[in-house]
Amino acid sequence: MRELSTKQKILRFMANNTVPLLFVVIIAFGVPLSGYSPTYLAGEVISRISRNTFLIVSLLIPILAGMGLNFGMTLGAMAGQIGLIFTTDWGIVGIPGILLAMIVSTPLSILLGWWCGKILNMAKGREMVTSYIIGFFMNGIYQLVVLYGMGPLIKIISPNLLLPRGYGIRNTVNLIGIRKSLDNFLMIRIGGVPIPVGTFLVIALLSVFILWFKKTKLGQDMRAVGQDMEVARAAGIRVEHTRIMSIIISTVLAGYGMIIYLHNIGTLNTYNSHMQIGMFSVAALLVGGATVASAKIRNVFLGVVLFHLMFIVSPMAGKRLIGQAQLGEYFRVFVSYGVITTSLVLYEVRKKRERGMSGLALAQDQEVTS
Amino acid sequence: MTKRQRTLLIRVGAIILILLFAVFLFHIGRQHTVLIDNNTVTRDGVELQALKLVEVQVGKKGEVLEMTPRIRDKAVVVGQRHTVKVVYTDASWNEHVHELSFRIPLMQNMVLISLPALMKNPEDVSFWLENFEGLAVAQSDAPQEEDVVFDELAGFDSF
Repeated sequence: MRELSTKQKILRFMANNTVPLLFVVIIAFGVPLSGYSPTYLAGEVISRISRNTFLIVSLLIPILAGMGLNFGMTLGAMAGQIGLIFTTDWGIVGIPGILLAMIVSTPLSILLGWWCGKILNMAKGREMVTSYIIGFFMNGIYQLVVLYGMGPLIKIISPNLLLPRGYGIRNTVNLIGIRKSLDNFLMIRIGGVPIPVGTFLVIALLSVFILWFKKTKLGQDMRAVGQDMEVARAAGIRVEHTRIMSIIISTVLAGYGMIIYLHNIGTLNTYNSHMQIGMFSVAALLVGGATVASAKIRNVFLGVVLFHLMFIVSPMAGKRLIGQAQLGEYFRVFVSYGVITTSLVLYEVRKKRERGMSGLALAQDQEVTS
Repeated sequence: MTKRQRTLLIRVGAIILILLFAVFLFHIGRQHTVLIDNNTVTRDGVELQALKLVEVQVGKKGEVLEMTPRIRDKAVVVGQRHTVKVVYTDASWNEHVHELSFRIPLMQNMVLISLPALMKNPEDVSFWLENFEGLAVAQSDAPQEEDVVFDELAGFDSF
């Protein structure tokens, strides 16, 4: 194979990392413009890493199984929220409250994940858009259950959680009992920056689990299914079952991630918190250099840092630049959607180019042999 | 035992273990409010006067509350078994210290400790500790309806 020159290597690196490099440039301009101190930025970024990483890691398994970006993680987020509503109602606080919410959310997540996986198996090749629409559909069911079912059908003990009419959960649920209980467990300060070691340990455990999982029989099956479903089927792998398993694992992890996310914030917006969580998590993962077909743990961490640095600095940078913080707000919404579009387009372009190149190589081979 | 049966057994065992763990979490994480009341009370037809000045601490690490007559304060505790330490100096400057343990029923949100009753008969927990169901909420001018907000971009900032 022909050796690449340094210039070609640089160009290839840039082509493969267009989105992260674009973000590095945005941040390079945005950070000085915002005027924030390094300590403040470090504190904010660390807080957001602990808050969001678990959610984003939940997207890795379906990518491994070739199902693309699981926008259906919203289903897990809803299950996590239901777990939190129950534990708040029962008055369970601290880390036991978080763990109990996770236990309550697990069967719901498994059920929703199984159902979502079944549907995605019927829509092979269109998994992303299907999972996105499933999220909207399930949101309607969630609202029906939480707004009308909780109170008369599903018993809620605490009147503080119910709407004044006597049924349905209020717009906001105060999670003061569990707020930052995991973050404050083993909290240390380095140079004035608080480091939530407890949450980072949980994230580290999850990362190790993902790395270990990829080496298991099921992980290898998922990789095989992700590369070519027909070849995997011919090799005796239960393709549909493997795909469903990947969605179930992703949904369960998304539920846990949502609980960790909300425990850090301390307030649950009952009807809104979960709505855009899939979109932002996907955007953060793509910013880290992941694609629809390939994502690694390092993409998660790089994505969280870059995406959230942009999130933090853009309102202030906008204000300093043209005197309006609102511009920065618009900018970050626009960038979130824009980065997903850019990544999807780049992925398709790259796939087409690779297909073209392999076609040319095959044609050359055939010429040589004839 | 076939492989299928063994798998089923392991799965059922795992579910039972998780359920037991959930029950354990429920017990250790349940939050209760302990009301500490220093009002004159009547027990068995006898009126027990409120204490002039008393120090109360619920739990080993709880805040020490200084209470005068007709005062009611609260302590928030987690779990069922707790201690209460009461330090009272009477009119003859004799200091009375009682450190007692009590248990809150699992599903009880609030309990009330009556300090005069506790000083009278510290040995009998049921004499000074009672379940408290809360007061009926007074009618207010607050609207009976609350608009439910559906906003696609809510939570954007917190992300």
